Amino acid sequence: MRPAQATLSVVDERQPPPVLIPAPLVEARGISKRWAGGAAPVLDDVDLTMSAGELVAIVGRNGAGKTTLLRILTGLIEPDGGTVKVGGLRPRADRRAFHRLVAFLPAANTGLYVRLTVRQNLELWSDLALIPRRQRRGAVDAAIERFDLGGLAAQRADRLSMGQRQRVRLALTTLHEPRVLLLDEAANSLDDEGVALLVAVVEATRRNAGCVVWCAPKIDERELPQVDRRLTLRDGRLT
Amino acid sequence: MRRPGLSPDVAAAVAVMRRDWLITTSYRTPLISSTVSLIFGLVLFHFISRLVHIEAFQTPDDYFAFVVVGLAILQVLNSAFSTLPSVARQELVAGTFERLVLSPFGAVRSLLSMTVFPLVYATATGVLMLAFAAVAFGIPVAWETVPIAIPVGFLAALSFAPFGLLAAATVLVFKQAMSGMTWIVAGMAIVAGLYFPISLLPDWLRWASEVQPFTPAVDLLRHLYVGAPLHDPVWQSVGKLVGFCAVLLPISLLAVDRALHTAARRGTITEY
Repeated sequence: MRPAQATLSVVDERQPPPVLIPAPLVEARGISKRWAGGAAPVLDDVDLTMSAGELVAIVGRNGAGKTTLLRILTGLIEPDGGTVKVGGLRPRADRRAFHRLVAFLPAANTGLYVRLTVRQNLELWSDLALIPRRQRRGAVDAAIERFDLGGLAAQRADRLSMGQRQRVRLALTTLHEPRVLLLDEAANSLDDEGVALLVAVVEATRRNAGCVVWCAPKIDERELPQVDRRLTLRDGRLT
Repeated sequence: MRRPGLSPDVAAAVAVMRRDWLITTSYRTPLISSTVSLIFGLVLFHFISRLVHIEAFQTPDDYFAFVVVGLAILQVLNSAFSTLPSVARQELVAGTFERLVLSPFGAVRSLLSMTVFPLVYATATGVLMLAFAAVAFGIPVAWETVPIAIPVGFLAALSFAPFGLLAAATVLVFKQAMSGMTWIVAGMAIVAGLYFPISLLPDWLRWASEVQPFTPAVDLLRHLYVGAPLHDPVWQSVGKLVGFCAVLLPISLLAVDRALHTAARRGTITEY
């Protein structure tokens, strides 16, 4: 049987033809990672396969390895064993195309240039994301609108509250409209309105043939009702 | 600020430089204090030049002109060695480095772009220093060759950039590099002849003047700014700078890439 395929227009100034992405969209096989000096592996032969349109929640205690798994899926950390492919692309070998597809929101409230305004942070990211020139302003405006940051656009990031910073971080993460969204404790510091905006973006990503991994110690079903699969990471195993 | 016609990669590099400019100018005190310390340095060496007699110089003014160019280049030397690793470390602490790694533009290109603003800023500071020395102390500026000093200055800065990239690679793996950089800058200042002619160096140390780009850069710029005699022919000094660029730049970029790979393998890329 021929595998199902989804189409994607890769962002490029020279407008290349749409790239065919084979299903599954995310394919992590046999992932293992052991920290130096650690007695037990933090991840032990973990498999995760996701199709377009899927939302997977991964829960687990503090230190269970959720963040490590996400960092491996983004290519920030190399596993000791196993392979990661997103849309058939590998994190190191296909680095540039891979990072056009994948976005990662780390936990905590870091990752902003605090002396820059919200708009300046977003403009910088639109350039680093290599969004074509003609689309950059639109992408920044859309990100501001998506997380209701209009009133904060001219404010410096170090003058924002934690919740406002989290919205800016989410706006940065989703600015280039990635197909695969990896969220680590994304609802932290957000008020109800912020969570609703985040869930709307998650839904939009799924509708656009993307997929989302939502990691948190626990999932509030009221905040995130549309989870397709709920997995637990415990003792290095994903079940 | 829109930049019509730029390719996405060039636009991203310019955006990194613009970011550095915005962050630097968002603080006012460092700008003032660096200007004041620059003036103090000039005043100090002006009086030192009155106190000492060095055979290689006919008058105290000759030595002062010599050392002023050395001090101006020291700004660039300091910037090349210290600014990039320091900024890289700040990015690690602030969690912004993670974003650069995850961006399609990438961490290697970002770090390369991050070398530009500090070197331009340091070069501008050096030029300001020379201008102040010319106005306040009357050092004899060779105006007819000063325009040539601008492209030579950029070539020199380009040949210095790999040292910053190598230092940044060290930060990515070991998380610290600053204490070592201070020693290296002090050593380079001695063997490159920033404060005194390299002819005064003992024979056993002379080799160190030949194996780095700072000596030919200092020699050329000193000649172009204040008309000091050249140690080597122009073509030889320019050739050395081009050679150092051609050899060191790819090596330093490869070192950054390997450092990123090592940090990713160890899982320490987000640590600081």
